[in-house]
Amino acid sequence: MSKTVHLKVNGRSHDVSVEPGTRLLYVLRDNLGLHGPKFGCGLSQCGSCTVHLDGEAVRSCILPVEAAEGHAVTTLEGLGTVDRPSPLQQAFIDEQAVQCGYCINGMIMTADALLKKNPHPTRDEIKQALDGNLCRCGTHMRIVRAIERVAKAGVPA
Amino acid sequence: MNTRRRDIIVPSELSDLGASRRAFLKTSGGLVLGFSLLGPAAAMAAMRELPLDTSVAAMKGNGAFAAVDPAKLNAWIAIHPDNTATLFTGKVEQGNGAPNALLQIAADELDFPYEHFYLVMGSTTETVDQGPSYGSMAVRYAGPQIQHAAAAGRQVLLDMASKHFGLPVDKLTADAGVITVAGASGKSITYGELVGGKRLDVTIGASGETFGMKVAPNAKLKDPSKYTVIGKSVLRKDIPGKTTGEFTFMQDVKVPGMLHGRVVRPYGVESQLLSVDETGLKDIPGFVRIVREKNFLGVLAETEWGAIQAAQRLGSKLNRKGPDDGLAKWSDWHGLAATDEVWDAVRKAPGKPESVAKHGDVDTALKSATRTLKATYLTPFETHGSIGPECAIADVSKDKAIVWGGTQMPHQAQRDLAELLGFPVDKVEVRWVEAAGQYGRNGLEHVMADAAIMSRAAGRPVRVQWMRWDSHGWDPKEPAIVQELEGALDAQGNVTAWRHHMWVPTMSDTRLLPSELIGKPVGKVNLGSAAIGYEYTFDNADVSSHNESRVGVITAWMRAPGQYETTFAMEAFIDEMAAAAKQDPLEFRLKYLKQPRTIGVLKAAAKLYGWQPRVAFSAGKQATRKAKGRGIAWVNRDDSLVATIADVEVDQQTGEIRVVRVVVAHDNGLVISPDGMRNQIEGNIIQSMSRTLHEEVTFDHAHVTSRDWAGYPILRFHEIPDSIEMVLVNNSPEFMSTGGGEPSTCPTAGVISNAVYDAVGVRLRQKPFRAERVKAAMAAA
Ligand code: FES
Ligand code: FES
Repeated sequence: MSKTVHLKVNGRSHDVSVEPGTRLLYVLRDNLGLHGPKFGCGLSQCGSCTVHLDGEAVRSCILPVEAAEGHAVTTLEGLGTVDRPSPLQQAFIDEQAVQCGYCINGMIMTADALLKKNPHPTRDEIKQALDGNLCRCGTHMRIVRAIERVAKAGVPA
Repeated sequence: MNTRRRDIIVPSELSDLGASRRAFLKTSGGLVLGFSLLGPAAAMAAMRELPLDTSVAAMKGNGAFAAVDPAKLNAWIAIHPDNTATLFTGKVEQGNGAPNALLQIAADELDFPYEHFYLVMGSTTETVDQGPSYGSMAVRYAGPQIQHAAAAGRQVLLDMASKHFGLPVDKLTADAGVITVAGASGKSITYGELVGGKRLDVTIGASGETFGMKVAPNAKLKDPSKYTVIGKSVLRKDIPGKTTGEFTFMQDVKVPGMLHGRVVRPYGVESQLLSVDETGLKDIPGFVRIVREKNFLGVLAETEWGAIQAAQRLGSKLNRKGPDDGLAKWSDWHGLAATDEVWDAVRKAPGKPESVAKHGDVDTALKSATRTLKATYLTPFETHGSIGPECAIADVSKDKAIVWGGTQMPHQAQRDLAELLGFPVDKVEVRWVEAAGQYGRNGLEHVMADAAIMSRAAGRPVRVQWMRWDSHGWDPKEPAIVQELEGALDAQGNVTAWRHHMWVPTMSDTRLLPSELIGKPVGKVNLGSAAIGYEYTFDNADVSSHNESRVGVITAWMRAPGQYETTFAMEAFIDEMAAAAKQDPLEFRLKYLKQPRTIGVLKAAAKLYGWQPRVAFSAGKQATRKAKGRGIAWVNRDDSLVATIADVEVDQQTGEIRVVRVVVAHDNGLVISPDGMRNQIEGNIIQSMSRTLHEEVTFDHAHVTSRDWAGYPILRFHEIPDSIEMVLVNNSPEFMSTGGGEPSTCPTAGVISNAVYDAVGVRLRQKPFRAERVKAAMAAA
């Protein structure tokens, strides 16, 4: 039987009627129409579904939607828009740190959480934070450079 | 004519964008106008909301999907009243930015600002079939077609302006989308005003087909010295939306009334479906039905989660225990060669001989040699492994179909789907939407067939997305290849004989898997081929191949198909010869090369690297735990030349290889966007490092066992090099643009193998070079 779950996503409240146990990813994508978080593996192996739960990067493909109740969910859309990108999103644009771009949600959401905790990470710290995020196109060098731009500039992510 | 566009529904969360987008969606003369006003990202996002009556069910009459006439200017270019423009191309984006380069070419030749010029790609009723987007051929072949169309367009606009002003064309100049009267300051008109919202229904001429098509043969091209956009590192238009979630991937598309589908693949590659207990699915919320046709099995549900759960109960899961594990029961087939038996299967498969080069008398030279060397190189099956699994939507009625997909060959997919459904080709429309990066033919065509079969059964639009194990388990693979090399040296260390023989299963098996499962095969199983750019000038040489059909599982081209593997063997074995001859590996190669551009990239790479001649591993075993080495290799892939040099460190305790520094010299002639090319080269290097160090598809006797990222690891951030430096050689208009999407993948395995030898004196001849294998090789040395 479906039940109503109360979610707060990108600052807005939603009541969604879903089957208990539905993974947060499908609720965000199918019920709320968000495109940022992506299905990559459903196994917590690749990071492309990453969202923030109270500022922590989590993998929405394995998270039952109920676990997000009472927490602030932020998706890629919540960081900025094309007209007003966040500094980190702008850095990805400036570095042209995208090939296909499918993994980029996970890269930005993971790096954003890192930069909020540690505004000036070293290159090794950046690589370590992203080690669980997979990119098949091989955009790694540019992704690291984009994050370094923000890390060095000292502006908030 | 039809005004159908991709009917993609704007998600509610983006309704602000949606509202403005809707406001601009007026159609005029068959063209959707003004979406470009939304700015680059939104326009490129392809999130154009469309009237619902474009679904198959609502289509009136028996109208067919008209193909686009390449002889008309409006097949290629539309100019909108707000002085923006759209370029239409049958080439599609796969994550490499190539279509963006086509846009640059058109902007330059049309004298239209790149910033206001947008792309529509791939859809079969909107674009010309310019051939599939594979083989690094977009710019080389589609580039001139688009360049000529744009040049013809410029001429048409000048003629229109000539009428408008009542002045001869030579009194007019076209620049940045505006035509100005020479000398009369202030007298000018924009392209948009001139065209006034009409279609550019002008015949420019076209002959031939796909790659060989000639468009607007009489168009006069710009003098290359006047290029302003070609050769510039412009910002890619799709990137902003991809950093904010505003871009719509295939995986994001929704169609009204659609069901969610998941497939349940056989337990074994050729297992038969024996029975399905559907009653066990009834309690799943949202479950609609199963679709069963011979060995094809799928589930449909109102929600994605419902479909996933139903598929799982039938047996779709990462670790299925056996053919009975699940409510679907399969026959216990086990005719597959397991991982270690693959080489034998490849050697023993029937095939046809192919000769690449035959000079002198290799056998005699081998007999009289001072020293002979012999080695076998093994490369395993590999998977494309797109980060987003394959996804498609189909809406099939009794006599028509619309299929949304991210295929690299929408026009071929249209023909294949028509055959699958038994429809005339013009009753199938493929609406192309970009999917996650693909590096050849992955499963994107196959999933379109899955969706079509299920939509036909359900009579409703169906969205199918593969699970990770469907993609790793069933996408067409790069085949395993076996290569044997033999060489001879005389007393002075000269090469007197060279033999290279390869066993190559097909890399062109285009059978659609779902069509095989329903017992109505569509597509062809072609033979493998000797993918090699052999240029050495040895007096006695024999380079040949044994070209085979399918061996085990469906295999299809993956980035530099076959040539990634043959370059590995050729360039590692010549390194073995150089070491045996006690010569510097670069100088040794240069003795046997004569093509100036090949020599050019090798020297350019050596210069950028700071190469000092020395014999590999001449200093012997290094005392430090991390031994350092350098390696070199090169390739000619379809006239693009690449030389790569890398430094590696080998951990002598664990066997772990770290690539520290990579230097690439890349000659593919005129580069349209240098930063775009650099992005591609970096991608090729990282991905080919991943293939070299980690990747191997594993099998038991029933199926692929490497069905997730744990079983099929790829390169991670901690392994990336400190730097990838590069030089673009012959980047100028005298040199035709050849491809850049693949070539720099080829040298990597040879480079790393050679560098490991230099570091620790061990030859790695079997890919991947995982730490355990390197450690074992060092222990055996
Ligand atoms: S989709 Fe969630 S980690 Fe891969
Ligand atoms: S950019 Fe394609 S997967 Fe990372």
